[in-house]
Amino acid sequence: MSGSSGISAFPDGDNMFKWIGTIEGGKGTVYEGLKYKLCLTFPDQYPIEAMKVKFETPCYHPNVDTHGNICLDILKEKWSALYDVRTVLLSIQSLLGEPNIDSPLNVHAAELWNNQDSYKKVLLDHYKREAARSVSSKESVKHL
Amino acid sequence: MDQNADASFDPSKNYDEDTLAQQREIEKEIAASQAMVSQLHTFDEIVEEYSQEDAIYRQKIEDLKSRFKNLRKTRGDGNCFYRAFGFAYLEKLLNDGKEYKRFLDIAQKSKDELIGLGFPQFTLEDFHDTFMDVVKMVENPGTVDGLFQAFNDAGLSDYFVVYLRLLVSGHLQQNADSYVYFIDGERSVKEFCSQEVEPMGKESDHIHIVSLTKALQIAICVEYMDREGEKCNSFKFNPFESLADDTDTAPAFTLLYRPGHYDILYPL
Repeated sequence: MSGSSGISAFPDGDNMFKWIGTIEGGKGTVYEGLKYKLCLTFPDQYPIEAMKVKFETPCYHPNVDTHGNICLDILKEKWSALYDVRTVLLSIQSLLGEPNIDSPLNVHAAELWNNQDSYKKVLLDHYKREAARSVSSKESVKHL
Repeated sequence: MDQNADASFDPSKNYDEDTLAQQREIEKEIAASQAMVSQLHTFDEIVEEYSQEDAIYRQKIEDLKSRFKNLRKTRGDGNCFYRAFGFAYLEKLLNDGKEYKRFLDIAQKSKDELIGLGFPQFTLEDFHDTFMDVVKMVENPGTVDGLFQAFNDAGLSDYFVVYLRLLVSGHLQQNADSYVYFIDGERSVKEFCSQEVEPMGKESDHIHIVSLTKALQIAICVEYMDREGEKCNSFKFNPFESLADDTDTAPAFTLLYRPGHYDILYPL
């Protein structure tokens, strides 16, 4: 699955229950130009039960914790069996630019959010330091 | 000191995951102890659920006993209304070929209507196919036992519930103007559907029942068993009542509502 919307996802090898996805930060947001790799796993009860999605590339964001777990309602109590990989990745992409700073997993990022200049600086430092490695390995995945 | 340490916030811990894990444990316990749809029970078995002191409920069960023969329970997983509705209705269709034909036609056509409303075609077809497979178990020749097996098979039963949820969502969205004032919390009808109708496990209220009976044109009766009055209050959901042609409005089946839960009733 790929498209012009800055998201893509492919099964991880022969295992159809595990996919690797990528998200590019939305245009006009502080995440523009950044790429993140995510891991999607599908439980036995999918799609009755939600897929599990985690950031593989460390992501500095109010609603993502240091382990890559994402706090997004449609992956939890508002999951519906109609959601698919595309709608989930698009939701995460828009979450990047529109965080829910009232219930943060990363308090530091939530507090900094309103100061977009400082936020962008910390974000880019974090990205360069933590993320550069996994992005370069992801490029080869994308062109397969 | 140790107690304080336990209660304090540990930033390296994922509390969200813990909550979800605990919730899954509770769901597993319910799944292990309650069938999605049970065998028939007598009211003598049900009355034992209430203590001797609970005079109001015991009295109401006597009331039910004077009018109904059996009760079939559904799992308390938030999907009980849909499962009770689906099972009770298909069970009725086993003995009503004319109604079955009418329903089959509505069920077939519903797929294109939902796709027209913008539901994703590929996913929707998947649920519609399974829904139709279960519906068609009514023919050639259908048995109560066959339906019982199907409604206790998660792969069929849960897909069936999802499709009924989509029918409710579709009806609400098609008639948004009529329902928007009955939705609390300043939400649009579409938001309400994606938050309170489409997700599995979201409980049903009056508005969901009205929508499903109207979407499928099926009249049903609900016996409300609460702490008010001496007898259960029966309430008929009649989707035909606004039409001039008031032909056959006998309820297709009766459900029992006890606060937060729906089961199926079988008349004497």
